[in-house]
Amino acid sequence: MDTLLATIPYLGDWSLILAAIAGTAWGIMGGALPGISPSITMALLLPFTYVMDPSSAIVMLASTYVGAEYGGSVPAILINTPGTNSAAATVVDGYAMNKQGKAGLALGISLYSGFIGSMVGLVLLMALSGPLAKVALSFTPPAYFALGVLGLSVIATLAGDSMAKGLIAALFGLMIATVGTDPVSGANRFTFGNSDLLNGIEPVLVMVGLFALSELLAQAALTRDDQDRARSRPRIEFPDRKLARRLVKPQAIGSAVGAFEGVMPGAGGTIASFMAYNEARRWSAHKDEFGHGSPEGIAAPETANNTVAETAIVPLLSFGIPGSNSTAILLGGFLIHGLQPGPMLFQRSADVVHSLYAGLFISIIAMVILGILILPVCVWMVNRPRAYLNAFILALVMSGVYTIHEGLTDVGMLLIAGAAGFLMRVLRFPFLPTVLGLVLGYLIESNFRRALVLSGDDYSIFVGDWISIVLLGLAALFILGSFAARTLNFIRGRRSDRVPV
Amino acid sequence: MTRRTLVAAGLTLAALCPFVTVAGAQDYPVKTITLVTHSSPGAGGDIFLRDLSRFLGPALGANVVVENISGGSGATAVARVANSRPDGSVFYGTTPTFIYTTLLSEPEFGYDSLDPLVNVFFDPEVLYTAATGPFQSLEDVMTKAREGRGQWGAANPASLERQSLEMLKSVSGVNAAVVSHDGGGDMMINVLNGTLDMGVGEIQELKGQLEAGEIRLLAALTADRIPGYDDLPTVREAGYDVAVRKFRGIAAPKGLPPEVVAAWEAAIPRVLEDPEFKAIYEPDSLQPAFLDDEEYSQFIDGFAADTRSFLIETGVIQ
Repeated sequence: MDTLLATIPYLGDWSLILAAIAGTAWGIMGGALPGISPSITMALLLPFTYVMDPSSAIVMLASTYVGAEYGGSVPAILINTPGTNSAAATVVDGYAMNKQGKAGLALGISLYSGFIGSMVGLVLLMALSGPLAKVALSFTPPAYFALGVLGLSVIATLAGDSMAKGLIAALFGLMIATVGTDPVSGANRFTFGNSDLLNGIEPVLVMVGLFALSELLAQAALTRDDQDRARSRPRIEFPDRKLARRLVKPQAIGSAVGAFEGVMPGAGGTIASFMAYNEARRWSAHKDEFGHGSPEGIAAPETANNTVAETAIVPLLSFGIPGSNSTAILLGGFLIHGLQPGPMLFQRSADVVHSLYAGLFISIIAMVILGILILPVCVWMVNRPRAYLNAFILALVMSGVYTIHEGLTDVGMLLIAGAAGFLMRVLRFPFLPTVLGLVLGYLIESNFRRALVLSGDDYSIFVGDWISIVLLGLAALFILGSFAARTLNFIRGRRSDRVPV
Repeated sequence: MTRRTLVAAGLTLAALCPFVTVAGAQDYPVKTITLVTHSSPGAGGDIFLRDLSRFLGPALGANVVVENISGGSGATAVARVANSRPDGSVFYGTTPTFIYTTLLSEPEFGYDSLDPLVNVFFDPEVLYTAATGPFQSLEDVMTKAREGRGQWGAANPASLERQSLEMLKSVSGVNAAVVSHDGGGDMMINVLNGTLDMGVGEIQELKGQLEAGEIRLLAALTADRIPGYDDLPTVREAGYDVAVRKFRGIAAPKGLPPEVVAAWEAAIPRVLEDPEFKAIYEPDSLQPAFLDDEEYSQFIDGFAADTRSFLIETGVIQ
């Protein structure tokens, strides 16, 4: 309550309002450009904040993060390409709705869910920082390993028609994740002497290649314009009361998962959105719609990744520990202004903390307003003739990927990923397990090996604490459950339980 | 997404852009000096160069700007500097990373393709433990490792921090697992929750926890006690012959004109004496450690030789 009262006066501060709006606009733009991750969007902005006063600088960077986490869903829905890692789960149902001519509604649902998720996240950040920080502190390497395995168990849902193909696709992702520096010894692996590969392959490159480039190639094979999709009206539609009521459940799931994943350093929005998607489907009354344009399939991951954008700030403020690349840049913003996030920040610079809260609130409002203004233009743009649109998308993703390191290696990797994606498409392999494997591979491997170094190669460490046991148990339950369901369906000769990608 | 937004955002940013002042031209051969770092904006190496650049400009009589070139664990930034003209316009901000990357990955341009020009600071490394934990001193931690098995943390696999723990382990002959992490924050959590007996880090990155009383410093990995932390014994005083020097300095493309070298060698000691600059670096416990061109080249060669034998001993490279 005190926090709330202390925050309110800052809501009228014009410099904060301007910083929040500018940051959000910049964030939405960066998030919406495929290849530019939220952290890169923030890093590009960071030098401009050096000359600002500390509160405005921090607010601007945090608003950029909020905007970028939302912005990623726009290309996911409109051009079948997630703009950020955490928007990958939105692609499935978002693009399916777009193809049915309901792009305006899909964008409306994502904006509405983003708003709900951000608000829940902000309330948690303001009210429950202390208890949430304790959750982060209780996670040891074996618990992180268990969390990663639980994330991987979602493959069972994402695999689509064939479990074998889903597993192969996931394995492909896990293999890509091994490229780079060995997490324990520091030696090079699979870099072929190329120093550009030392930091590993950016998931965003692979994703843009798999989704966007392969989509462009597939569309080039179509003979007549727009055969495969209905045009959407360039207008954003928010869900009506009936639909809004239906979305409450997936949004509740999304915020719960997002709150949990957000506070844990290293986990982040991608796992949260995939798990939220998976759980929303499990508990949905309209399971069969998932994968074919279910509004719930957009609401769950978009609520989750926007909740993460707020709760990820908890470990940063409480311990000064950044949980992701994006919060690492935010930490940089604090340090440059001589502020040390951590337990003392609340006492020493309470004004900065309260203006951050106020700024986040303003940025959530700004996100909705900017969305309403920008989105119809975006829908209009994707309604242009296919040939122009696809050439534009190609130029957009190539330049986006080039900016990550300003190097051609990344562009080459993108083309390779595009070719692989086309091949996977032809052979009917799903993409999402690959993305999941790629994102989780490093988390799982590094924590698995770290745990074994800790225990001296004693494997009992993985069931040594309750968190690990519960998480591993859940994963086993999910895998066995889905296996049982598949077997049953097979016996009954029914194959309704599909999620094509 | 749309061009309109792009232009609007561009204008907003342009308005916020800091303007660069042109300092009175002295006899430095170029107008603008670019300091290249592999650190991302806001990281330790970046903040060091940005703080330094504000004071270097007037001292050298040129504009000093910082450029972040990420990728390749620093190899991309080194290559960029190695390929620049040696006219005093482009320099590289050194940290031990560029030696580790060179030795581990043998990129086309390594530390030996640059000329180590001047050293500026040593960044003291310290050993620490959770304040709520059972360990009161370094000896407590060592006793646990001697009698059973210790669990010690380093931020990154290929780093000076890990090397210092491996050295401590080998001179003391105790049984300890040296666990490397994905950065200092990751490790801090495992120290705070008691998974690790102790961790190693720089004072600057520990400050938040230190001031809040969440962690306890055990010993300094420096040759002498750290000013401002006079009660903190060194690891050597505790009877283990280990001390490391994390350096922060400047390297240049090979073949720099002698007058540019002289200008830098004159400027750095002056900048280090500047009370305004002192007010920035002293609270972070950065120790001014000026080394001139010749001394720094020898220092870097020695550091690289030590690192190479460490990496060979631990089986990371052949």
